[in-house]
Amino acid sequence: MNNAVIDMVSPLPGFENCRRYVLMAAPEIAPFARIQGLDGSKPSFLALPPQAVVAKYEQKLSDADREKLDAGEREPLLWLSIVRIDGDHAFANLRAPLVINPRCMLGLQVVLADEQLSIDHPFLQD
Amino acid sequence: MLVITRKADEAIVIGDGIEIRVLRVGRDGVRLGITAPADVSIHRHEIYNAICDANASAARDTTAASVEHLVERFRKQTGREPSR
Repeated sequence: MNNAVIDMVSPLPGFENCRRYVLMAAPEIAPFARIQGLDGSKPSFLALPPQAVVAKYEQKLSDADREKLDAGEREPLLWLSIVRIDGDHAFANLRAPLVINPRCMLGLQVVLADEQLSIDHPFLQD
Repeated sequence: MLVITRKADEAIVIGDGIEIRVLRVGRDGVRLGITAPADVSIHRHEIYNAICDANASAARDTTAASVEHLVERFRKQTGREPSR
């Protein structure tokens, strides 16, 4: 699934002018992947599976969001947390992950209802 | 901005199938009941703003050097072998 174009069914909050992104999962940066916007200001993001940060991360997609991604009940979906790098610190957005249906390459930044999940979860030890 | 005065148990309707009803007016806040189609996402404004901010800051630094540094530190921390 290298370098395939993802269509966001809703734009990422703050990046309303960019709907298409390329997912670049190079082994050099695994388990991270780069998500490169193709429209507007062409934003570039780094992301990684939330389970790489919190092993017991188990979240479910609402039926409505699943439908937006044209995904069946058991269809495997790709979950990625956007990473924020700040100097020697890095944070993962566990509350609003990107969920991608790899079959049709539709994506959505989901806002999960679980208020315990952090938008800015630090994951690098000092 | 359209401004409408509503009392408890009064509502407004937006478009097709979205209703916002005032359930209770208290000293600390107004309790609202929202009825909307399942595909309409509803969030507290501050959460939406926080995600906007997080996305904007995340897009600020994804230079190759920063990413390389992060990957190296993360792999060291998790004992993950570099895969090349």
